[in-house]
Amino acid sequence: MIRTLLDKLYLFAGYAAGGFLIAIFVLMMLLSAGRPIGLNIPAGDDLVSWCMVATSFLGLAHTFRHGEMIRVGLLIDRLEGRPRHIIEIISLLVGGSFVAFFAYYAALLTFDSWRFHDMAQGVLPVPLWIPQLGYSGGLFILLIAFIDEFIHVVRGNAPRYEKPKPVTAEEVVEQAIQSGV
Amino acid sequence: MAELVGISALLLVFLTILLAGGVWIAMALMATGYVGMQFIGGGIPSGPVLATTIWGNSNSWALAALPLFIWMGEILFRTKLSEEMFRGLAPWLNRIPGRLMHVNVLACGIFGSVSGSSAATCATVAKIALPELKKRGYDEMVSLGSLAGAGTLGILIPPSITMVVYAVAANVSIIQIFLAGFLPGFLVMALYSGYIAGWSLAHPEKTPPPEPQMTLSEKLHESKQLIPLTLLILLVFLSLMLGWATATECAAWGVMGSLGIAWWHGALTWESFWASVMGTVRVNCMIMLILAGASYMSTSMAYTGIPATLAGWVDSFHLSPYALIAALTVMYIVLGTALDGISMIVLTTSIVIPMVKQAGFDLVWFGIFVVLVVEMAEVSPPVGFNLFVLQTMSGKDSNTVARASLPFFFLLIVAVAIITVFPDIVMVLPRLAFPG
Repeated sequence: MIRTLLDKLYLFAGYAAGGFLIAIFVLMMLLSAGRPIGLNIPAGDDLVSWCMVATSFLGLAHTFRHGEMIRVGLLIDRLEGRPRHIIEIISLLVGGSFVAFFAYYAALLTFDSWRFHDMAQGVLPVPLWIPQLGYSGGLFILLIAFIDEFIHVVRGNAPRYEKPKPVTAEEVVEQAIQSGV
Repeated sequence: MAELVGISALLLVFLTILLAGGVWIAMALMATGYVGMQFIGGGIPSGPVLATTIWGNSNSWALAALPLFIWMGEILFRTKLSEEMFRGLAPWLNRIPGRLMHVNVLACGIFGSVSGSSAATCATVAKIALPELKKRGYDEMVSLGSLAGAGTLGILIPPSITMVVYAVAANVSIIQIFLAGFLPGFLVMALYSGYIAGWSLAHPEKTPPPEPQMTLSEKLHESKQLIPLTLLILLVFLSLMLGWATATECAAWGVMGSLGIAWWHGALTWESFWASVMGTVRVNCMIMLILAGASYMSTSMAYTGIPATLAGWVDSFHLSPYALIAALTVMYIVLGTALDGISMIVLTTSIVIPMVKQAGFDLVWFGIFVVLVVEMAEVSPPVGFNLFVLQTMSGKDSNTVARASLPFFFLLIVAVAIITVFPDIVMVLPRLAFPG
């Protein structure tokens, strides 16, 4: 029950990130194609920047679980069995604490914006906590994913963020492209 | 001074332990930034600085070009472009020494001007060129090597994900870096093609006979295949150069055109569309979190004063600019054996940029230098992604592919030497577009 709920959470946050990506594209096309015909979107550049934050942070948990958050595998890939298991737990602990630290202060930033009624500086006077919600929200979902994963690994399971080694050419290419370089 | 050297050594050791221990790169950067903050007097609040720095840096209009260029590559990779390119280019290369082997270089160069990723360029072209060249009896070593090498043109010829990351990390204009990449891109293509031609002249017995001759109208007929891609390139670059669109908007036009090509090929289904969106989300999130970690580390470093001190220290040696670039090249080649290109850039910019600035280098020029050393990392073992792609696609072992790529690795070093001695190759286009 809680398992499916969490998986859905990561996935749907990822879908939301996808939605914001499409929003960036549509806004950008409207801005660019609209200029010659006199169509003007108020604060279009602000909207694009906010969508950018939302797409970059809401998709984090999904990216993490998909095994695409990169780490240096040179050393740890040579370890197996118990040493590898211990090092995974330490990595999760160190990584997770920083996600927690980050998520806490991002939430604090959002809360302060709400408390002090901070407004966006641009043409569109939007309360800043609204776009900041995607920022702190995405980090919180990532934190949940880290805790989830930590418990899973401490119980003796293999981490789910590790991608299986690619076998077919298709998989290699897919993974290479996901490396982004 | 001595204290700062001690702190920097400590931070370096700390970062190395975290990275080697498999901590995710973005978190390792944040942790190092956090530890660095603890050394500053005056009690700077590290948490709030973290949250506001990263919010400020991510909330950016210029950065929105990043996911759009990634998306463009994701869409195009799922189309039949590589087949079209092979058939459209092949008839014209029959007479040149090395014949169809030049398809590798040309096709990668052309695809590089719509794709921002080296591995994607390499894979897209290799998918069709590798089996076709093998079938015709071309030497497999040169074929593999040129594919690995030319694949890296994906990040040198704009648009380029690597360049966007550098531009953000070094705080220079994305458009200027893009413009600066064109001529060095042609230079690298010329070096590769020259090597292929020279090799073929030296080994005539290893070059298969030419294809049956085609008449000019037949050739032109085959080249019609290149029309959609040419239109896309024109769409992206004309919109940029004529000033219709900013770099970010031109990325949106590129996505539009790529969707058009995918639709034209009948490859655009809801399923493939959504797959490209989610693929983009993951690559973008991965890069953005690393950039976030790096921006925090840079801020923390700036507080400690380490970069400025190091820059002064290096400056006190009165190295010649050539010696500095040679030393940096060696450093990046070593780093490239452990890190991927993007991490390499964000990890080093906060320290290296003040250094090269002090030595009098232009940061746009340095961006192209960095892209070239990242390309070297892509074709050198053990973590070069292009080698990895070709290894699986060809079924050869990693040593063979690495050996095949070695000449092209050296040609990249030659390219670095050429742009260092003749920096105008890099700077002429950006200066033309942005005088003053």
